[in-house]
Amino acid sequence: MSFERDLLAILPRLRRFAASLSRDRADGDDLCQAALERGLKARDQWQPGTRLDSWMYRIMRNLWIDEARARQRAARTFAPEEAGTTVGHAGDRDIEAHVMLSDVDRAMQALPDEQREAIALVLVEGLSYKEAAEILGIPMGTLTSRLVRGRGALIEMMGEAA
Amino acid sequence: MSQIDEAMLIALVDGELDEINRRRVERAVADDPALAQRLARHRALRDRLSRHYAPVAQEPVPQRLRTMLEESGAVVPLARPARWRGWVTGGAIAASLLLGLGVGRMSGGEGGPIGMQNGVMVAQGALGEALDTQLASAQQDGNAIRIGLSFRRKGGGWCRSFDGTVAGVACREGEGWQVQQMLPGAGQGTTYRQASSADARVMATVDALIDGAPADATAEKAAQARGWR
Repeated sequence: MSFERDLLAILPRLRRFAASLSRDRADGDDLCQAALERGLKARDQWQPGTRLDSWMYRIMRNLWIDEARARQRAARTFAPEEAGTTVGHAGDRDIEAHVMLSDVDRAMQALPDEQREAIALVLVEGLSYKEAAEILGIPMGTLTSRLVRGRGALIEMMGEAA
Repeated sequence: MSQIDEAMLIALVDGELDEINRRRVERAVADDPALAQRLARHRALRDRLSRHYAPVAQEPVPQRLRTMLEESGAVVPLARPARWRGWVTGGAIAASLLLGLGVGRMSGGEGGPIGMQNGVMVAQGALGEALDTQLASAQQDGNAIRIGLSFRRKGGGWCRSFDGTVAGVACREGEGWQVQQMLPGAGQGTTYRQASSADARVMATVDALIDGAPADATAEKAAQARGWR
């Protein structure tokens, strides 16, 4: 059994997950590369017999969250934080810089992070609620409520086109 | 008013309801046009999202990501000898290996059983057809290609193992079959076929990919009828 070979087999799906989290494909591949680096370095922590894809999804998601927090911290130094809201992205300024994005990319980007990762795992990656909840380290009930809110927001943003 | 909340409705779309609840929601939807409309909207959303990102998983993986794995694999002693035999890490190696296997043995082999599309190996010709139509549960002697197992892979989608002039595993991607692994096969059409050395390696791939158990005859037939979607 080769660890690299198994990673290669799931790499297309890892790239897709990265793309659905990131603002564009290039950022997605950067995230994917960072996740591969970390996965290769931490290979001893993966237990053979458990699911490599779930393990890698988790690594990727954690990297993405770290990066998103850093980005939010940076945004807060320029603009006062709005009370009680979790904003997935810094708003118009960033969106304007990426006008080529499709409706779907734009709507996903506007979702709060915790809704976006739930949507990405279940609707894009096709994981079960149980698998997704385990990867995110949250109870099933929390996952389903994020899915409900995330979907409502996406439908609203994408309008009839959804 | 129906007793169906949004969470129930989306659980139906996500295939997360048990039989009883599924029937309950479906009954409620049948009686309530507004609910039916909401359901349709959720189905359309899921469909749109998965179609939007699907091409990313179908296109060739960028070389820089491949290279990371290849270089990492090269420093692991165990992985080295098996690296190009078992898993195709470069198209040129795949193509030359394939030629060496005697593609001419394939009946009507137009360019062989496996072709390259955008840097990805795809099943074509007789192999593509066998993967589309042949049922593992209804195998006939004399088929050039034997289908071993049909199974769903982690994360969704169908994969099938095969053996013939070449052996390996292919997974459904869009309209075609993406070859995940390719090895020299056990040959074709013999009733008493020797276990090929490929078997263990093919099984290792199946083990790595499979979600649950392989499809039984009924599930396989149903999957084929739906075009392996």
